Amino acid sequence: MTAAIKVTDLNKLFGRKQVLRALHFTIPPDTIAGFLGPNGAGKTTTLRILMGLIPSYKGNLEMLGCSIPSQRVKALEQIGAVVENPTFIETMSAYENLYWFGSLYKPLPDARIHEVIDMVGLKEATNQRFGTFSTGMKQRLGVAFGILHKPRLLILDEPTSGMDPAGRVHMREILRRIHREEKTSIFLSSHLLDEVQRLCNYVVIIDKGFTVSEGYVADLLATHQEKWEIRMPDEEFERARSLVAGLGLQITIENAPRGLVLTMNAGLSGQVNQELVKAGIKVNALIPHEASLEETFIRLTSDAGDKGGNA
Amino acid sequence: MKRMLFLVLFELKKILNRKKALLFLVALNVIPLVASLALLVAYVKFKSFGFGEVQFSVLYEIVQGLFKGHVKLFSFIAPFFLALVVGDSFSTEFSRGYMKMLLLTPINRWQVITAKTVAIMIFLLLAVFIGGMFLQADLLLARTMTQNSGVIPDSLMQELPDQLNTSKPLNLVSTSSALQLLAMTFFGNLMLIGFFIVFSLFFESAILMSFTSLSVLMGIHTFYLIASNLLSKMDPWYDTLAKWCFSRHLDDLFAIKSIENILEGKANIFAGEIFSTLLSISAWTVAFYLLATLIFSRRQILH
Repeated sequence: MTAAIKVTDLNKLFGRKQVLRALHFTIPPDTIAGFLGPNGAGKTTTLRILMGLIPSYKGNLEMLGCSIPSQRVKALEQIGAVVENPTFIETMSAYENLYWFGSLYKPLPDARIHEVIDMVGLKEATNQRFGTFSTGMKQRLGVAFGILHKPRLLILDEPTSGMDPAGRVHMREILRRIHREEKTSIFLSSHLLDEVQRLCNYVVIIDKGFTVSEGYVADLLATHQEKWEIRMPDEEFERARSLVAGLGLQITIENAPRGLVLTMNAGLSGQVNQELVKAGIKVNALIPHEASLEETFIRLTSDAGDKGGNA
Repeated sequence: MKRMLFLVLFELKKILNRKKALLFLVALNVIPLVASLALLVAYVKFKSFGFGEVQFSVLYEIVQGLFKGHVKLFSFIAPFFLALVVGDSFSTEFSRGYMKMLLLTPINRWQVITAKTVAIMIFLLLAVFIGGMFLQADLLLARTMTQNSGVIPDSLMQELPDQLNTSKPLNLVSTSSALQLLAMTFFGNLMLIGFFIVFSLFFESAILMSFTSLSVLMGIHTFYLIASNLLSKMDPWYDTLAKWCFSRHLDDLFAIKSIENILEGKANIFAGEIFSTLLSISAWTVAFYLLATLIFSRRQILH
């Protein structure tokens, strides 16, 4: 099947500063994909280039099988997008903004506009001026604009930024519903790793303009991270801690009620266990924990930083 | 095509929603409006004091003056307001993020610039048309005040200027002349729209853009005046350079003699010097539009 997005060897310079360096990733169809990276990694620049807001760059782009920029209009007819905050006309109501901006895709029946307003929970604010909207309402109207013409792909940039926890939960529900009911692939950038882990099944991680890693979330966590709880007698805690810390491996050590929780790169657990046993520490139990995307992200981006290049 | 038409409508709606644009309409038409009302008041006063008919020669001068005044006013004041309207359609839209939202939809950049230009042109046409309507109302009023249905009364024949001292039906300012003057005003300002659009692509503040573009416009025109009148006597090269100052065409177009000739039916915009000036203006308009399209196609939208 055609990839939702395919980016190959994307480079971008702002003046003398290179913000994207041979960036590459492929988003499979029918996924909710997260686009992760620290501040300044190049996420928004990548989205701007994809949407044609930045016309000068080097590299090859494809969205839904359409080459960008030559088939940009054809691609955008099937894509809904909001890059950074939605900036609708402040003096117009939610309905008017959706009508005028949405009709630039194709003529829209009134019922569809009301349907999406209802879907994102803005029914009460249909005739309210956009200028009076809260941050959360603005974000939701942005999503409504994105899905108005029933796109095959929805691209969102930090869709929950500035929202309170309840708003984030609601937004997650909206996006899941769109993916489920309208069969729309979603590609969203976010700083909120926990949120991406809850919502996305595919993830692309970039840092300093490089692709650090990409893949299905489950595979990524299993490939890059191991998290184990090692149970031992209380008197062995400190000795075990200093032993693990002295191994010279990248291991995060946390205290647990009956032992230590170690987060490390995949494949290291055997070596750690061997060292503990060799040192005569009595290991009562080794309990696997599910690694979090946050830990994987921090480890991957710090690895990439250390190597100064593509991981 | 439908998408393009819809975009033009959208842009027009945005322009008409702005207070600056409404101020533009009011400011440019306040003189014809006030003059119409003054004429009406004068008429009523004259009647109520029992003076009978207003002297036709006075009325003739008033209405002719109104037309000249309006056309000159449009050529002097319109650029200031036009710069703001263009600035709002481009510069302000860059800073507020409206342009970003527009470019996220399946529209080409040349379509955006064309739709915005067409919308501003329609707005300008509206501004010119409203002024024209007021002046036409003046004509109707003047005809009523002379209390005849279009034929000059014998009693007034001796008061008429020579060129109107005939037995032809009375026509203070012919509709054709009025329309030609309005078309002239429209085309003259069209070139300025192109000029302002080029500037607006480099700014994110309408006020700053207006200030800069108007300063450049005035600088170019000052150079033209100095180069063509003074410096050319020292070196003919300055005269050649002055010919490239596009603002000179506005001087030629809105020369008071040209306006008078059109009003009196001695000249028309489809022949002679006025026509060649209009052609030059059209060429400059196209050049500015193409330049703006080229710049816009390479502009990065970062807000």
